[in-house]
Amino acid sequence: MKKMNQNKYYLLLAFFVCMAVSHKAIAQNDSVKPVSIVTLRYFNINNNMQYLLLKSQSKLGRVFTPQENKSYEIYLDSSTQNNLIGKVQTDEKGLAKAILPPSLAAQWNASPQHTFIVKEGDEEVLSDYTITKAKISLDTTTVDGVKSITASVMQLNNKNEWIPVPDVEITIGVKRMNSILPAGDEPTYTTDSTGTATAELKKDSLPGDENGNYLLAAKVEDNDVVGNLRFEETVPWGVRTEIDRSFFKQRTLWSTRFRTPFWLLFTVYGIVIGVWGTLIYLVFNLIKIGKIGKNTVEQKAEIVV
Amino acid sequence: MNENNIKSRREFLAAGLLASAAIAGCSTSNNPFAPESDDIKPSGQMVKLLSVDGEIIEMDKAFLKPVPDLPAATNTQARRGIPGKKFVMVIDLSRCKNVRACQKACNHMHQVHPGQNWIKVLSMQESAHTAPYWQPTTCMHCDEPPCVKVCPVDATFKRQDGIVLIDSDRCIGCRFCMAACPYSTRVFNWEEPILTKEEEAQPYSCETSMPQKKGTVGKCDFCPDMSRKGELPHCVSACPNGVFMFGDMIQDSVTNGAETFRFSSLIKDKAGYRLLEDLGTMPSVYYLPPVNRNFPYESGLENKYKPDHIYEDAKKLSTKIN
Amino acid sequence: MEKSISLTSEQITQDLLPQKFGKRGMAWTTILVVIALFGLYAYYRQLKYGLIVTHMRDYVSWGIYISNFVFFVAISLVGSLITAIFRLTNVKWRTPLTRISEIIAVSAIVFAALIIVVDMGRPERFMNLFLHGRIQSPILWDVIVISTYFFISILLLYFPLLPDLKILLKFKEKTGKRLNRLYRFQGSFWKGTKAQFQLSDKSISILCVLIIPVAFSIHTVTSWLFATTYRPGWDSTNFGAYFISGAFLAGSGAVVVAMYVFRRYYHLEKYITEMHFEKMGRIVVMLALVYFYFNVNEYLTPAFKMKESEHGLLKQLFVGSYAPMFWFAILVGMIIPIIVLIFKKGRKPLPMFIIGIMVVVGAWFKRYIIVTPTLLHPFLPMQNVPTSFMSYFPSWEEWAIDAGSLAGALLVITFFVRIYPIIPIHETITEQNEKDESK
Repeated sequence: MKKMNQNKYYLLLAFFVCMAVSHKAIAQNDSVKPVSIVTLRYFNINNNMQYLLLKSQSKLGRVFTPQENKSYEIYLDSSTQNNLIGKVQTDEKGLAKAILPPSLAAQWNASPQHTFIVKEGDEEVLSDYTITKAKISLDTTTVDGVKSITASVMQLNNKNEWIPVPDVEITIGVKRMNSILPAGDEPTYTTDSTGTATAELKKDSLPGDENGNYLLAAKVEDNDVVGNLRFEETVPWGVRTEIDRSFFKQRTLWSTRFRTPFWLLFTVYGIVIGVWGTLIYLVFNLIKIGKIGKNTVEQKAEIVV
Repeated sequence: MNENNIKSRREFLAAGLLASAAIAGCSTSNNPFAPESDDIKPSGQMVKLLSVDGEIIEMDKAFLKPVPDLPAATNTQARRGIPGKKFVMVIDLSRCKNVRACQKACNHMHQVHPGQNWIKVLSMQESAHTAPYWQPTTCMHCDEPPCVKVCPVDATFKRQDGIVLIDSDRCIGCRFCMAACPYSTRVFNWEEPILTKEEEAQPYSCETSMPQKKGTVGKCDFCPDMSRKGELPHCVSACPNGVFMFGDMIQDSVTNGAETFRFSSLIKDKAGYRLLEDLGTMPSVYYLPPVNRNFPYESGLENKYKPDHIYEDAKKLSTKIN
Repeated sequence: MEKSISLTSEQITQDLLPQKFGKRGMAWTTILVVIALFGLYAYYRQLKYGLIVTHMRDYVSWGIYISNFVFFVAISLVGSLITAIFRLTNVKWRTPLTRISEIIAVSAIVFAALIIVVDMGRPERFMNLFLHGRIQSPILWDVIVISTYFFISILLLYFPLLPDLKILLKFKEKTGKRLNRLYRFQGSFWKGTKAQFQLSDKSISILCVLIIPVAFSIHTVTSWLFATTYRPGWDSTNFGAYFISGAFLAGSGAVVVAMYVFRRYYHLEKYITEMHFEKMGRIVVMLALVYFYFNVNEYLTPAFKMKESEHGLLKQLFVGSYAPMFWFAILVGMIIPIIVLIFKKGRKPLPMFIIGIMVVVGAWFKRYIIVTPTLLHPFLPMQNVPTSFMSYFPSWEEWAIDAGSLAGALLVITFFVRIYPIIPIHETITEQNEKDESK
């Protein structure tokens, strides 16, 4: 069994090497051909900024490999030249990003619902990714010292009205580096019929910025209706943290040469100056001996004792 | 898994977007994310785009790429580090089954010489009757770094964000740091690194540790270039089991991409510890003990890692080049 | 004793003037040059391909370059012992040995510095040590102390040489034109006046005092390159004293060997007498005992406790793969010399010569044992590396470079002897005169 596994890995390895060398998918076995898979995701940040993220992968068996340097065209609603959002090229992770150009404003405003179409050359590789314009809002309440965060998700209907979106999985928490720290005990919540979900802030005295502020964040990921939404709001709930600027003032054994500890500096310089001072004095002695020699007439006696 | 990681790694990006949106909105720069002197500024060129409401807003060109296209840190920036941050890593031993995806991703992204590794996944067993477990080992980014203490030329240094880096343009290759490191984390470029033309052509940065240079020391760098872009280090995002959690001690939070924990509670609840604590090196890497494991130790044995083969193949390759 | 035979100044001068290489001298020099050139070729390969030509790898990141460096530093310490300590303690018989030990010190310290450059991955960045030097690093302490010691040793070689240069200048036809020009350049200002002698004597006295702490520093700092790390076998408070005692022993062994060779080759039996061997023998026994004492200290206490981190290392040293070399270094470098030299017959020139060689060889391997095995016992297990990373035996390039550096050090001594009198002529004459007067 183990051996078989190994062989499989070697085969895979050989396959990837081939791919890398020729940029062509040469299958080792006719029955196993890699399939190209393109996915698109819509992002809405703070109900304002929006962009699309395209991912291109090739699938072989159960292994996904990103496809680099592939070109795609993304269209809004229909694949006509007028509706072109942009031409994109994937990076080494098979990702590409597109923004909606201002020229498509009329088309975008015409409907609350839009479909994105991806073409590779003349071939339509994706045609059914549809999202509805939506927004998140955050509401905070404090009852008996317990802080709660209520997030509501709303979508735009055909009459241009905001209506609640139920059954959306939403992350509610505090924005931290690279992630959202869940506010309550649950990692995610689901919106009810009013489109809202409430999380109790269980994490007391989280560090905030210099003013004690931090960002609350709510995030919807890959929802069928609204795509990806994220909303952030500043609240003064954090503990003030000062940026420690004393780091470069420390004098330690691991500091740079500009921050040598004083005791070491004085010891070393003391010794070096002491020793080399003496040595310089001895060199002067040598020069003095030379001067005496030059000023002395050669003596008759061979050796003076 | 990978998908998940990408999803939840947009914070910095979002920050950038927010910042530029704010600039576009009120054309003042008093936003909370204004770059400090030690921070890297985006290009400054703005692009117009359509907002959700159909209005025209602006965004910095740097954020047009899936990963923000920020200029590389200058040597001074790389040496000072990111202000207001104190990076920390938590490695959950109960989740590790020796997949070595971390190692592979790290080696690939840093062009570590074949056969050598910055991340080692060690098979540990303290004594005959204690249980074996898998222990991924990175650089500990010590707060009392013995390697930095002994460096004669400031080639390896400690930054304000806690990261210990190496400047391969400065290193003289004396290897004192390797002798001083009790975690044996440092590796040496014994020969000319095997690089493609593009890798060779890219400008050297201490933050990317790329391109590697012959006759200098290398080691895990906590990927500060990734942090600047709002992404997680390569090992963190590569791990399919969420073993690695990376974060900021000052924000008191660590994440493996899929899950986010409050650092202090996590360490407290799971009895986190650090390696060789008695040496007083004060590592920035914490371990969660291998209890209630997700995988039995034996499942890790399936991964037959053969550094010998990799090394020998690379040797043949490099002699061919020579 | 032999010394009582009265020698005239003329004869002393004639005996001690530097001599041209004979056939054997030429052969010796040629061999050394060939070895040194071979070492240079190996170094050329290392520069071309990188340190990959050595068998050092990530775990054993220091190999025989570093042990050779420690060896050279150790040998060089003897200059301070014989010139300075003997002078301050008024040991009369030191006179014929001072210059031998000083030149050994100078050449050894020069090659210690060179071998460190060889060990560097980036030798072309050597200047970084001065441009970006961090005084917190023990390496910088070593740079400072070694350059200081080198300078003191040169001065200590030069001051006593001045009166001899004056004598040498008189033998133009014998020494040849080129050497004569060199002597004139170096010492034509020495007229031998009272004022000059006063200044010179005073300077030598100061140097002799100064060189002792500096000499102790070079080897203590060298030991700190190891003792400032956490590694088992190096993490010792004993290390400075341990290294210094070993260094005095190694250096004395080297001086004994040199004494014997010069005595035989240049027929200096009247100057380097059996008495000198007898006295040096006693010194070597004493130093070997001291070093042995430190060895017991260094190994017994950790072995008694057998801490987990030390356990693997000590086992490998005592009974494992490094045991032959470990016990060889202890036996040949200390025990046998002690046993042989406590007998009067053992302190005759020939046995002393053999023991001297044993001490030096033992000392070299002792340093191998100090550097390498420790690195094979890291705190975290050695895994995820190619098999070749988990052991160490030097490559031919490393052997060649080490041999080349030893040959180079011997060449420096050889050429020095060719150019300058290896036994101070002036001092010998002075001492002879004093002795004659006291009769």
